[in-house]
Amino acid sequence: MNLTINPILALLIFPGGLCLLAYSLVYEFVDRKLIARFQNRVGPRWFQPLADFIKLLAKEEIIPTGVNPALFVVLPIIALAAALTAALYVPMFGLQPAYSFSGDLVVTLYLLSLMTLCIGLAGANTQDRFSLVGATRALTQLFSYEAPFLLAMLGPAIALGTWNINTINTAAAHNWWYLITQPFGFLVALIGLMGKLELPPFDAPEAETEIVAGALTEYSGRGLGIFHIGRNVELVIGLTMIASFYMGGLSSPLDFLWKTLVLLLVTALLQSLFARLRIDQTVGMWWRIGTILVLVQLLVIILGRYLGPVLQSLIGG
Amino acid sequence: METKHVPEKFIVSIGPQHPALKEPGHFEFTVDGEVVTDATARLGFVHRGMEKGCEERNYTQDLYLMERVCGICSHVHALAFALGVEKLAGVQAPPRAQAIRSLVAELERIHSHLLWLGVAAHEGGFDTLFMFSWRDRETVMDLLELISGNRVNYSANVLGGVKIDINDSQRDALHKGMDFLEERTHHYMKVVTEDETFLGRTRNIGLMTKDQASLLGAVGPTARASGVKHDVRVDSPYAGYPQFPVKLITEPAGDLEARFVVRINELFESYRMVREIIDHLPEGELSVKVPRRIPEGETISRVEAPRGELLYFMKSNGTDQPDRVKVRTPSLCNWASVLTLAVGHKLADMPMILAGIDPCFSCNDRMVTVNRGGNSQDWSWEDLRKYGIAYYK
Repeated sequence: MNLTINPILALLIFPGGLCLLAYSLVYEFVDRKLIARFQNRVGPRWFQPLADFIKLLAKEEIIPTGVNPALFVVLPIIALAAALTAALYVPMFGLQPAYSFSGDLVVTLYLLSLMTLCIGLAGANTQDRFSLVGATRALTQLFSYEAPFLLAMLGPAIALGTWNINTINTAAAHNWWYLITQPFGFLVALIGLMGKLELPPFDAPEAETEIVAGALTEYSGRGLGIFHIGRNVELVIGLTMIASFYMGGLSSPLDFLWKTLVLLLVTALLQSLFARLRIDQTVGMWWRIGTILVLVQLLVIILGRYLGPVLQSLIGG
Repeated sequence: METKHVPEKFIVSIGPQHPALKEPGHFEFTVDGEVVTDATARLGFVHRGMEKGCEERNYTQDLYLMERVCGICSHVHALAFALGVEKLAGVQAPPRAQAIRSLVAELERIHSHLLWLGVAAHEGGFDTLFMFSWRDRETVMDLLELISGNRVNYSANVLGGVKIDINDSQRDALHKGMDFLEERTHHYMKVVTEDETFLGRTRNIGLMTKDQASLLGAVGPTARASGVKHDVRVDSPYAGYPQFPVKLITEPAGDLEARFVVRINELFESYRMVREIIDHLPEGELSVKVPRRIPEGETISRVEAPRGELLYFMKSNGTDQPDRVKVRTPSLCNWASVLTLAVGHKLADMPMILAGIDPCFSCNDRMVTVNRGGNSQDWSWEDLRKYGIAYYK
């Protein structure tokens, strides 16, 4: 579906900006509610994420001693801005991306990584013990999931021979779902997204029973609220990308809705199934299993792509 | 930004306010990266002066006071106190009362172990197990409310017996509750012994050999998980246990997984005990009269709390108030094992190793004297007053 929107509107209201913020709060609610129901709890009311956000915005932001105040204030804003910018290049709501150029896949993936970098920096900026340990763990985790996640997202791109998200999205609709032809890639991408967002069982960087809130321990009020909503936005974008790459593209808002919600259901299920992994277990798992899986996948794609025509010509000839 | 002195040791302090511990205790873990190289504990944040308080009240009032030593194992404290006073007074509670005492103690053990299962799972980041085990724990809480009227401080004991009786409808409810819990517990046993991610956090973590356990003076399920054959209910049966013997449950492995397995097996044993007691409840009176003034003497009363051996020392002086009551709670005995085991483990394992002994903070709080170079231990009231004023100035 194509929709021409004034660039300023696209940036600030729809599909980026306000609309996305509101939508990400809805997804946070769905996520929390689903996990609560899986855990036999009642769960939050529908407006709870919004209420939390407003409350955090209204609260005093305490800047602890020993930090670089400018960095302390600006880091959450950079994180949110990066996530919102990334939204412009993905088919949000099943509409065509607001902006598109060849190679925007790489830019989007790096914009999504900025969040973790900002969280790591935010933790390292303070002198709090829990923050420092949390920051170390967040960055350690970044180095473990980032490579497999990147490779997993590149799978469909390599198969289709384009690094443009919009082209992949359109082309994916005409092929078999890559979920079926590239199951390892899908698995690694989805679990990689959970690692990226520090969702359980990959929540070692913010394990509350060990290091309180990890890197964000010293954050309060506005900064914390912005970090939270930035993470929600990233959740929506991540789900959109995986759905458009691996689940046959997003061609309409309805398509978008059911595919991302199904993915959210799966992540919520995974979140409530496992005990938290220690950071060394996380790293081990990604490098020993995740990377190998995705490399095998990549090898198969490349072989299929380059040997396929050769074989075809041999058989045909 | 001014440059700060960077200490050579990186110490992560946990508590007295920390999400991992809902009760006040202070721990300092020296870490090298993620690996813990040293651990210390400091207690005493909620010292309530209960032992001293006992000396100001008569025996009946003390029974209520001692029931409030611990919020989870409240019954065993009252039981230990009542047994001690009865021994001093030279009376014995009737068999029916003794059986009901054991019944409530076993129900309390069920509630405590299910609570622990949830807490330990939460410390390991497994919130689903936490929520499920606490939901099922409500069953036993409801049963305790049904038979005693209270969910927490059941107040089942009086000096010389009990004040609650079990009727037929309560018996049926207990049977039904035990059947439900047994089925659920089989499921939890499967989870803690088969779930891969959970085993990754418990197997071979916090390994304590039998010798270490004996050396460090560990008690209760913590020691039994290392193969130490010690259970007061078996070694020197009290209350209803001579009539209804308990099977001793041990596990040789000594790691966190073994601590889970021992406690879950104890749950099964407690279900069996509850059924056994309510099916064969002796007939007779519920209490005997205990004199108001207790003859002069000293005694030690030992019971098996859910966390391990609970010891009461009591000294009477012929009046209606005790001369001295000394409480040694099981958590206090187990701290040494935690601090020793912590070294060499990852920081991420600390909450689970801490939770592995099922710590109870407020009941093991003691007044701590930190000896900062001074050599005098005897302070007069005037000294204390001056010290207090100077300290808070």
